[in-house]
Amino acid sequence: MLLHLLVLAPFVAAILMVMTSKDDPKSSSRLAILMGIIFAAMSVALIAGGNVATDAIEWFHIPGCKGPVYYYLYSHGLAAWMVFLSCGLSLVALISARGITTRSYRNFAIGIFSLMGAMNGTFLAADAVLFFFFFEAMVIPAAILIAGFGGKDRMKAAMTFAIYTLVGSAPMMVALWYLLTIADNSMLISLAIALQSLPEGTQTTLFVCFLLAFLVKTPIFPFHGWQAITYAEAPAPLSAILTGAMSKAGVFGFIVWVLPIFPLSMSAISCMMWLGLFTAVYGALMALRATDGKKLLAFSSMGHLGLAVAAVFSGSEAMFPAVLVLLVAHGISAGALFILMGIAERMTGTRELDQLGGLSSKNPVFSTLFGFAGVMALAVPGTAGFVGEFSVLLSLWDMGPLPALVAGFTLILSAAYMLRFIQKVIFGKQAREYEEGRRTSPLEGVSIGVMLALLLVFGFHPAFVTDSLNQGEEIEDAAAAQVLSEAAINQGNAPMTEDEIHQLDSTLAAAGFRDDERASIIAQMKAENSTGADEVNENTVKGASDDE
Amino acid sequence: MISLGLIPLFPLLGCIILGAIAIISSGSKKGPAEGFVGTLAVLFPALSFAGVALLAFNMPDAGIRETVCNWIDIPMFRVDIGFLFDGLSRIMLLFVTGIGTLITLYSIGYMHGDRGFARYFAYINLFLFSMIVLVLSDNLLLTFLGWEGVGLCSYLLIGFWNKDLKNCQAANKAFIVNRVGDIGFLLGMLCLVTIGGSALLNYDALVNFIQMIINGNHLEVVVPVLSVAGVLFFIGCTGKSAQIPLLTWLPDAMAGPTPVSALIHAATMVTSGVYLLARLGSMFAILPVVLDIIVVIGMLTAFWAAVAGLFQNDIKKVLAYSTISQLGYMFMASGVCAFDASIFHVFTHAFFKAALFLGAGAVIHALAGEQDMRKMGGLLRKTPVTACVMIFAFLAIVGFPGFAGFWSKDLILERLFMNCTMYIPGFTIFGTEVPSIPLNGVVYAVGLATAVITAVYMGRLIILTFFGSYRGSKESEEHIHEAPAVMLIPMVILAFGAVFAGYLWADSIGIKFFAETLAPVVGAAQAYNVPAVTAHLNPMIFAGLGTIAALLGMYIAYKIYANARIPAAKGSSAPEGGKATWTFLFDSLHKYVGIIPVNVLAWICDVVVDKILGAAQWTIGAIATILGDGAATFQVRKVRLQIALSILGLIALVAIVLLTGGTF
Amino acid sequence: MELQAIYVQILALVIFAIGLIVAVSRRNVFFVLMGVELALNAVNLSFVGFSKTLPADASIVGQVVPLFSIAVAAAEACVGLAMVILIFRNRESVDADTYSNMKG
Repeated sequence: MLLHLLVLAPFVAAILMVMTSKDDPKSSSRLAILMGIIFAAMSVALIAGGNVATDAIEWFHIPGCKGPVYYYLYSHGLAAWMVFLSCGLSLVALISARGITTRSYRNFAIGIFSLMGAMNGTFLAADAVLFFFFFEAMVIPAAILIAGFGGKDRMKAAMTFAIYTLVGSAPMMVALWYLLTIADNSMLISLAIALQSLPEGTQTTLFVCFLLAFLVKTPIFPFHGWQAITYAEAPAPLSAILTGAMSKAGVFGFIVWVLPIFPLSMSAISCMMWLGLFTAVYGALMALRATDGKKLLAFSSMGHLGLAVAAVFSGSEAMFPAVLVLLVAHGISAGALFILMGIAERMTGTRELDQLGGLSSKNPVFSTLFGFAGVMALAVPGTAGFVGEFSVLLSLWDMGPLPALVAGFTLILSAAYMLRFIQKVIFGKQAREYEEGRRTSPLEGVSIGVMLALLLVFGFHPAFVTDSLNQGEEIEDAAAAQVLSEAAINQGNAPMTEDEIHQLDSTLAAAGFRDDERASIIAQMKAENSTGADEVNENTVKGASDDE
Repeated sequence: MISLGLIPLFPLLGCIILGAIAIISSGSKKGPAEGFVGTLAVLFPALSFAGVALLAFNMPDAGIRETVCNWIDIPMFRVDIGFLFDGLSRIMLLFVTGIGTLITLYSIGYMHGDRGFARYFAYINLFLFSMIVLVLSDNLLLTFLGWEGVGLCSYLLIGFWNKDLKNCQAANKAFIVNRVGDIGFLLGMLCLVTIGGSALLNYDALVNFIQMIINGNHLEVVVPVLSVAGVLFFIGCTGKSAQIPLLTWLPDAMAGPTPVSALIHAATMVTSGVYLLARLGSMFAILPVVLDIIVVIGMLTAFWAAVAGLFQNDIKKVLAYSTISQLGYMFMASGVCAFDASIFHVFTHAFFKAALFLGAGAVIHALAGEQDMRKMGGLLRKTPVTACVMIFAFLAIVGFPGFAGFWSKDLILERLFMNCTMYIPGFTIFGTEVPSIPLNGVVYAVGLATAVITAVYMGRLIILTFFGSYRGSKESEEHIHEAPAVMLIPMVILAFGAVFAGYLWADSIGIKFFAETLAPVVGAAQAYNVPAVTAHLNPMIFAGLGTIAALLGMYIAYKIYANARIPAAKGSSAPEGGKATWTFLFDSLHKYVGIIPVNVLAWICDVVVDKILGAAQWTIGAIATILGDGAATFQVRKVRLQIALSILGLIALVAIVLLTGGTF
Repeated sequence: MELQAIYVQILALVIFAIGLIVAVSRRNVFFVLMGVELALNAVNLSFVGFSKTLPADASIVGQVVPLFSIAVAAAEACVGLAMVILIFRNRESVDADTYSNMKG
């Protein structure tokens, strides 16, 4: 139920928002924030609730495919945390947008809610087609929001964003369709099984097609062309969601869809890892030279996500919790920084780093939050970022010291650009005269404070985050145990093998049965076997659908 | 018995409360009441100090261990938050919290009237929290928390007056250079984890592991990997303790308020590298290569920084280079496995260097912010208490017999000569065999020469500041005043420490209290590397040589500077010409090895790679547009013609299907 | 004389051809629309004509289809006329050749 609510209710909320007044941002913002709080609370409940799944509802048949497409949601630790990021950041964005959007707040809220629904669907979908549907659906509200509420270059940004991401996932659609024509249905396992039967060349092609979609979404090095302009031109609350939650869909896709489906060769793994590391270095270097505050943050996000992707492909045991903590930490801290940068832009009217400065004496509360958030992004121990980056380094160290060394180098670079960023924005003297815009509202301040406090809490007690994975394992174990016990029960009427029949025959003979009696008994057994086998088949099918 | 967790908790609480006050009061014009804030600020470190003192007197020999809770628990990696209170952390904690409390008290006077009063003390409390965690933790990861935490506080406090971008740049530099070292620390930890799992990060487990290796004779298997870890940890130490090559940040860090320089950049934070070496002593003891590296680096640093100290005109810069030089001594001692001697020097150094810095702070305070020594002079009569404190501390640092520095420096020099096993291996040149040359004499000689130079530059500082006649402007002379009591009291207490702290381990007169408290922690490690054969020398010889070095240096300083005409100060206080080359040797090294390559790489990424990608993106877009335009030409202008064409097309299609018999 | 099915088809073809020619050759957009209507009705006629060739009970099915198509044609005419009127209002012209702003 919770899962359905999290995926479908945002769309309902968007429709509800349509009914509010277009010209009265106050009342519509109240409703929007109220609903945002409810969604955030539900996502917390989702994390607390552990692994849950809905019933698999048949959705439609794709012509040419064997099985139907299911509407089937499944929440595991990773997905639940991603949903938390999407709901939480949407809430903060809705709060912060009150001060930023001078145009219709209502339309902004509609967009944010539909984006949130699509993101939740992406993270919770257990059916490949459903996943792909939401994965594509995310782009539309995001692009419309950029085009509607962005900065000067917004049309170009929206077009670049939409074209890049849609084109990037087109090969994945083809590959998915191809897989579906040979798989039983569109569940993860059947896709993986179907892939096994293909020749290696085809497997590689499909792998590349899948990779491309996620590489563009994350984004990883050669495919990052859309990112800087999009994050820079999008309204700051939306940038926060885009980097904090939506870009995670790429890494999420690597973990949940690419790794289980494709049997990866060592060279592919190390190739991907180096690509991730290169992206991390590249993002950090670009951030060093960025002159636009939001672009700097965009490149910084790219660097962090590159590190996450490198960790995903490190093949280490510690990879799962490492990446999860890194993603959560980055989602919160990058989200907070984007929103703070938005506030700075609102106050000073610019996001050029050279035009900013001196905010610490003008607006101490804002600069305290800003400095705090900036330092959090540096992965200082005691913050969630440190736990994430340290465990990522640990995973990378598994591949050898060199990857870990490169990752360490990016940490140094990240200190360099982040300190430069902090210095340019809040320290020093005011670079120019300007009319001051709206300051930090108390609600904004509190919401960012809560985000930063969460980072500290997760830093000192990462078990809050990592335990959700362990819990998942336990439940999976329980499910496996159930399956095993069911199998044991089934054993009773499982078809007897030839050996067993033979054995039965000999025991009967030993017991003194005559030949014709034995023959009739065995014939009876065999008849039962065949019906039993059918029953068992039905049972397993049912069981499978129950499990789903 | 109080819980160990309380000790770091007090300053943390103080930090939170003061931070809240700072934020809440940020809107008001006047700021919070200084008396109230100051009391709170001193209260929490003092409570911490009281707790440490209480624990210190009741400590069992084996120390106290306490695991608070689990911190990180993921596959392959599990670390607890735990504290370890033993001989080593006892000494460190006592002077960290003690000197911390004194300097906080001093700061109340120094920071009087500053707009960021509450913020400053919040940072100081946060620093003390981090430093206590660094020293008190029972595993490397938690130590790393303190390690980066003190780096962060150092960043915040150096850049405390953030209106001036120069201060911010110094702060950034400090953090980034420290980050380089910290990455070494991080990778060192990872290296240990690969050797023996995450349990090895615990100090006790590490000691047991090393013992096991020694007992099982597996040294040659583990030492290569362990040496890598050792070098990485040492890189971490060079960052935090400002050794070659990561030392450039410390002189720049003098941009912060002077009490901060005293607390962080002289007494406590910068010595954490020495602490780490001692803490991991059992590991370093079996790594001869790493030990040799440490000795050489320490020696070069001590000598280089002492010479650089000669060239400085800024009073705080002189003290900064002096700190680097003294840290070099400590590293040399660690390099010959004399961990107790190095910690002893940390201890005495904390007193006299803090006293010197606070004295310098009082001078700067008296002169309304003037830091250039060429504009000082004759302050002995104007600020007698400050002058006395500085002179006592000066006698301690140069190693005048009886003062604190004498005992510790003497001990280090003696150990250098006795324990140093470095040598140039024998080789054959032109057919003649050259036997291996032991280098302990060389190391000792450099140490002694450094002691002479130390006396010269410190003598110069004292003479330029307190003797002669005042060289500043007339109107500023009238404002010179002695510091308030709240600043003088900590200075006097520290001066007492500078005089008497050495008597905790006065080897020559048979007091060995300090060595005995440290023995349970570092004893085994030191015993491992006891030199096989050394001629027995009378310790009095070393004491005598050390005294002669100190006296010689003071005499030289007197000869050169007492009656010299000091060139009038013009412009900045930075050294010029060849002096600048020497001083900024490592700055330029960083520039050419670190900053410029990174900038070039960034430039390549930004201007070359990104533009190429942009061009590729544009090309694809352009191709799509061209294709689209091409397709659009098929669309003719007239609607009717289109209809006609589509009908024709339909007919053609039907004709094809009919003519080919439906195969298409 | 029994009506031969082929005559009906010939008539339908003629009407269809007239409709097509009108649609393609006239410039006035209303005539174009009428031509399209004419062609559509020719098709209806063709359907009815073919249905006559079936046995009586099946023939009714063939006569139902034109009913549907007439309904659709009515709807289409509505929409088409509405669009044409809108275009006319915008362009102040009934000349179909001037409607070329869809060209890229």
